[in-house]
Amino acid sequence: MVLYNFKKITVVPSGKDFVDIILSRTQRQTPTVVHKGYAINRIRQFYMRKVKYTQSNFHEKISTILEDFPRLDDIHPFYGELLNHLYDKDHYKLALGQLNTARNLIEKISKDYVRLLKYGDSLYRCKQLKKAALGRMCTVMKRVSPSLAYLEQVRQHMSRLPSIDPNTRTILICGYPNVGKSSFINKITRADVDVQPYAFTTKSLFVGHTDYKYLRWQVIDTPGILDHPLEECNTIEMLSITALAYLRAAVLFVVDLSGSCGYSLAQQASLFHSIRPLFANKPLIIACNKTDLQPIETLPESDALLLQEMKREAAKAGAGLVDGAPPDEEGCLLTMSTMTEEGVIAVKNAACEKLLQQRVEVKMKSKKINDCLNRIHVAVPRQRDQKERPPCIPQAVLDAKVAEAKVLEKRKLEKDLENENGGAGVYSANLHKHYLLLDPDWKEDIMPEIMDGHNIADFIDADILQRLDELEREEEEAAATAQAADEDEDMSDQELTAEETEALLAIRRKKKQILEEHRLKKSTADNKPVMPRKHDHNRQFNTGRMGRHLSSLGLDPGAAVERIRSKSRLGRKRERSAGGGDDYAMDIDQQPTKKMRARSRSLSRPHTEALPGEGYKDSAQKMKAMKIAKKAVKQRNKDARKGEADRVHYNLKPKHLFSGKRGTGKTDRR
Amino acid sequence: MRLEKCWFCSSTVYPGHGIQFVRNDAKVFRFCRSKCHKNFKMKRNPRKVKWTKAYRKLHGKELTQDTTFEFERRRNRPERYNRDLVDQTLNAIKKIEEVREKRESKFWESRMKGKKSQERKEAAVELEQNIHLVKAPGAMVAEPGLTLPKQQVKMKVKVSMPKQQQIQAVQE
Repeated sequence: MVLYNFKKITVVPSGKDFVDIILSRTQRQTPTVVHKGYAINRIRQFYMRKVKYTQSNFHEKISTILEDFPRLDDIHPFYGELLNHLYDKDHYKLALGQLNTARNLIEKISKDYVRLLKYGDSLYRCKQLKKAALGRMCTVMKRVSPSLAYLEQVRQHMSRLPSIDPNTRTILICGYPNVGKSSFINKITRADVDVQPYAFTTKSLFVGHTDYKYLRWQVIDTPGILDHPLEECNTIEMLSITALAYLRAAVLFVVDLSGSCGYSLAQQASLFHSIRPLFANKPLIIACNKTDLQPIETLPESDALLLQEMKREAAKAGAGLVDGAPPDEEGCLLTMSTMTEEGVIAVKNAACEKLLQQRVEVKMKSKKINDCLNRIHVAVPRQRDQKERPPCIPQAVLDAKVAEAKVLEKRKLEKDLENENGGAGVYSANLHKHYLLLDPDWKEDIMPEIMDGHNIADFIDADILQRLDELEREEEEAAATAQAADEDEDMSDQELTAEETEALLAIRRKKKQILEEHRLKKSTADNKPVMPRKHDHNRQFNTGRMGRHLSSLGLDPGAAVERIRSKSRLGRKRERSAGGGDDYAMDIDQQPTKKMRARSRSLSRPHTEALPGEGYKDSAQKMKAMKIAKKAVKQRNKDARKGEADRVHYNLKPKHLFSGKRGTGKTDRR
Repeated sequence: MRLEKCWFCSSTVYPGHGIQFVRNDAKVFRFCRSKCHKNFKMKRNPRKVKWTKAYRKLHGKELTQDTTFEFERRRNRPERYNRDLVDQTLNAIKKIEEVREKRESKFWESRMKGKKSQERKEAAVELEQNIHLVKAPGAMVAEPGLTLPKQQVKMKVKVSMPKQQQIQAVQE
């Protein structure tokens, strides 16, 4: 199936643009650098290439145009006729013919100049020849520029033609201008054709699509036709005529009963009769429109007669389509009102149905149908006898069904309960009632969860009693053995006496005290303030404390107190004590004197004394040497000059410059 | 509502008490009080912290293996309610508790069995070795026995003459 799509035709440039495109292409696609010093053959080749390339480009481009535009003799006669009426067949053919001639001329020019270039003897000559060749080619193109302009316009118009498929199921709407053709197509399709209350609102063909019996139907809206000879028809009317003549479609002749379109029914009838030859072999329906303004029942006598006549003619036209079918007069005349949408769908359906019947009929007559029928087989089982065999349902099942339905009806739902007890938000459903327990009385019981710090659920066990018995038995046994053990036990150790207990307590107290004192002493290391010994009752060095300590240990402190220093070291000679033993008294006979202490200091010597090892003979020599040395430095010291005895600071590098590894930077920085 | 056990100290956590920590591996840690929570946060091991149940059980301070413990066990399969059974259980819990307490006290007694004599032995040794702290050996010679010297009596020390006066006397 050929699909007619004129949207893909390439753009036709104007004559000037055409030349520009080709020349710039030549410039870009062929080499541009040539010198006189080149071998002449190379120069010739260079220019020949340019000429040939330009020619081939022209050829290619013109050929595309010629191929893209449809040849009127090859396409469907409907389109052929349509294009003829729109663009004038002769003009169209002439334009294409001129382009074809131009193509041939350019080819010839190129051939001539390539031949001449073979004899070009210098770069200059070759260049002139090339220039002449391209110039002549461009002149040829310039001459056909009106044709190019015409073709471009045709292309633009063609790309906007509706894509009508001439072979598919089609409904064609025709009639006088302003009778409601576009309103009808708007009602049954989504074409959205412009509708205005004046004649020739629709100036070209419009296509919409509709659906009937799950098939796609093409609906074509045509411009109105006036009733005058074919020769006087204008282009717009000719479009309608073309469509009527060449499309195999169901024709819907729309008639305006009321005459509000500006044409009487008589005029419309005469149009119908004059274009009747175009309806041959097509299903035809006369659709009487605008019944809201003029119902068909109240039609004047004369108009009714005209309608009858038209109906008869329409029936005659459609009679030969379906074999054996009598002329169906009633189906040929339908009424509708596009304003109230009354009867619109009926008209559409009738038209579709008629066309479908005809198409099926045609198909059945064709040769191809056998291939199709051979593959189809519909099996119809033959009836065995006249006996009725209804489905068998046992009575029990029926009863059960009835009973079940009753139960379902009777059962009270939770929703009913809710409505009875105050409705949603007030009623709270009792979930306990659905519990499955051994005793229904238990349903409302509250299960305790916690007792004495235990989870009761952790203890629940079916054989709890049995296990408890076991435990009790175990316990009894244990009690019996424990009693026996108690009897065996005896205390071998003695209790401490009261005296011992007291002594032990005292020891422990003392130990604790010692420990605490020790800790206190240790804690002074933490820079804590220490009470001076003078004021510390427990650390004083006096006889009182010593006495207390000794007596606490059970000793008599009398003798020790008697030996205190203040007593024992009084005067030069120690008095003999009456009571105490002499064995530990110190014997110091004399008072210490200054002379006795002189031993501890070494003898003083004058610094002039010559000591062995200094190298002087005697003290006089030493004195002389000292004098000379003093004199030697005297001036220097006066000048405040630096001497060898002065302290010296060497210019030492600081340590950080010596230490560490050297990085990638300077050597004197680390 | 359930009573849970503290993860750290194993004490019972009543509803509304303590805090619960859910680690990102969905393990749940319940704590009875902030003390346990803090200890957990310090990454302490309850088996090494003396006041926890875990420590006490591990170190033999408390009863570990006993039939009374076998009654209480978490059940993950729900049982259908039975009034009689619950009644029996409630009674049984009390009895089990009694038995358990008895056994625990028994365990404690047996654990503390040798303690007294041990203490006495130690006391004897201490008395013998450290008596010098409160009673000097010299005093022991004079008065053998463990009777302690009297502490309250203040000793009056006789001093013949002040030092200054003595010096003056010599000079004269």
